[in-house]
Amino acid sequence: MYRYDEFDHAFVKERVAQFRDQVERRVNGDITEAAFKPLRLMNGLYLQLHAYMLRIAVPYGTMSPVQMRKLAHIARTYDRGYGHFTTRQNIQFNWPKLSDIPDILEELASVEMHAIQTSGNCIRNVTTDQFAGAAADEIADPRPYAEILRQWSSVHPEFSFLPRKFKIAVTGAPHDRAAIQVHDIGLQLVKNEDDEIGFKVYIGGGQGRTPMIAKKVRDFLPEEDLLTYVTAIMRVYNLHGRRDNKYKARIKILVHETGLEELKSQIEAEWQHLKDTDLKLPDADIEAITKYFEKPNLPDRAEGWGQLAQWKKADAAFATWIQKNVGPHQHPDYGTVTISLKPIGGVPGDATDAQMDLVADLAEEFGHNEIRVTHEQNLVFPHVALADLEPLYRVLAANGLATGNAGLVTDIIACPGLDYCALANARSIPVAQEISNRFGDAERQKTIGELKIKISGCINACGHHHVGHIGILGVEKKGAELYQITLGGSADENTSVGQIMGPGFEPDAITDAIEKVVDTYLELRSTDDETFIETYRRLGMKPFKTALYGEKTAA
Amino acid sequence: MSKIWTKNGFLSENTWGYLSDGAEYLSVADAVTASESDLAVFVEPADDVMELSDKLGDISIIAVNFPAFADGRAFSHAALLRDRPGFKGEIRAYGQVLLDQVPLMLRCGIDSFEVSDEPTIKHLEAGHVPAIEHHYQPSMNEPAKANSYSWRYMANSG
Repeated sequence: MYRYDEFDHAFVKERVAQFRDQVERRVNGDITEAAFKPLRLMNGLYLQLHAYMLRIAVPYGTMSPVQMRKLAHIARTYDRGYGHFTTRQNIQFNWPKLSDIPDILEELASVEMHAIQTSGNCIRNVTTDQFAGAAADEIADPRPYAEILRQWSSVHPEFSFLPRKFKIAVTGAPHDRAAIQVHDIGLQLVKNEDDEIGFKVYIGGGQGRTPMIAKKVRDFLPEEDLLTYVTAIMRVYNLHGRRDNKYKARIKILVHETGLEELKSQIEAEWQHLKDTDLKLPDADIEAITKYFEKPNLPDRAEGWGQLAQWKKADAAFATWIQKNVGPHQHPDYGTVTISLKPIGGVPGDATDAQMDLVADLAEEFGHNEIRVTHEQNLVFPHVALADLEPLYRVLAANGLATGNAGLVTDIIACPGLDYCALANARSIPVAQEISNRFGDAERQKTIGELKIKISGCINACGHHHVGHIGILGVEKKGAELYQITLGGSADENTSVGQIMGPGFEPDAITDAIEKVVDTYLELRSTDDETFIETYRRLGMKPFKTALYGEKTAA
Repeated sequence: MSKIWTKNGFLSENTWGYLSDGAEYLSVADAVTASESDLAVFVEPADDVMELSDKLGDISIIAVNFPAFADGRAFSHAALLRDRPGFKGEIRAYGQVLLDQVPLMLRCGIDSFEVSDEPTIKHLEAGHVPAIEHHYQPSMNEPAKANSYSWRYMANSG
């Protein structure tokens, strides 16, 4: 993984000192709260319902055991003994004191971490596939490009006061696990006929109150043009994105209102002036960054094949975990392991300091020192020998980290909701917990198969409900919480936005409603292998609506 | 009370007057058709600065407007003027010019600042510009390339 050089260390140190100075000037009244707000946000500091919240960047979700231990230490020392992994592959702490923040940032800097641009109207943490560098279906590793983008976007002088936040995602595989089509810029690594690496470029995807699927603006952008082309997009957006209404300020609205062809020609015109500037990437620099991401030395461990078969036969829970949480690796003797942060009835994405320490230890013992955070709020060891899966599983299971539910109905994404968030209209976490408990039985989950439930506590859609196979949106109606259901969303290479079913449900009725939807799917599916989303795409909304609201409403 | 700051400090004399006191600058549209030289031009956020490209030889100063500190369009205006047609005259920031934006404005090629925020004036007078010296992008105020990847630069010392 990437390691800071002297330049990076010096930069982060300067940034921490700069923020310490800003906090001091805020405290002595030289900066108003209004002017301080964007400054603190660009350093990851939010003011929530009950306390400050600090969101720490985990660039493209990649972490070392040393960094994970530091997060455990911060949870223990400055917070309440836990942290919350987010859909941006970051981690946030919900209870830090403002006066501790500069110290926390210094602690982070000591392990090459920071909270830069995890919030604010700037270019946010670049996200990618959690299996990058390991997945069997990968064309090229997206992390070097994500790292180049991370560096280039850090404290960008021209793009720090954009109309609105700006999110970039990169995928290296045709099966998109990074949800690139719901990002402001989505980049998909592809190879052309001459076997050269480049990007398919999408712009204008996003969720929030106006969900939109990104539009393709380039079929093949050579890798050397990455920064010049992204700069052209950013400049057009900075100059022309709407600033009169924050709900219409994302680039998706600019794309929508300007028209794709017109905007594309503006970007291309801008790029003509930029393409041969100093931002054109030299091969040597791409190679140098790529070197940081070389795969660890993975010796052949063929003994794992036979062992795995025996272990699976002996333990059904282990077999389920293997089936759901272990994925194919580029090396046939290895697998990618998803460590579920979705225990049945738990808070999605939360991990205690002890769990974080344990994960760090296990990454050293079994995981070649690499940890990933997924946008689905789980953790991943990208390189585990099949022969090590059983001992790894035993330790995880003993510590509540071996739930075999990756991609299943209880692997729920949920935003923090009204339990923490100042923007929320409704609680998300208790809804996730109740649904998880309802479907907690392992056999039942297995029967249901792949089903992604995503819950947001308000229209800002941090819980990605628009792209949930089943989405749940919490709204406030006459002072009470109400939950709307959407069906048919998806965030992979076949991205779609879910459709609203009908009137919402009260908190004590939402789980029953979800169960009804799931039972209806089980009745309607053509075979046991047809997934929920496939059934929905085949039959549409109507049978589900009828089941939930009766014939009359559905007609 | 507004003051004009440059990286050499506050100016006691100011040829172009204070915009906040009603100093008259030409609009972009008027500048394009003006027949005089030594012009002072005022750029609003929604303007297209490239319209000035053919007139830059006749323009001495361009004031770019930050009507609110969160409105970052003038960062692009300044960067474009410096980068594209290579404007060599003065670019002045006007509007809500706050201390923590000044280092970014400098890097976008803005070289004078009409400042009215009292704490900002106080800190600038004390020589306190809260800048970062290590840059991951090129700047318009000609920093030195860092001895590193192509996109990295160091601030000019002094």
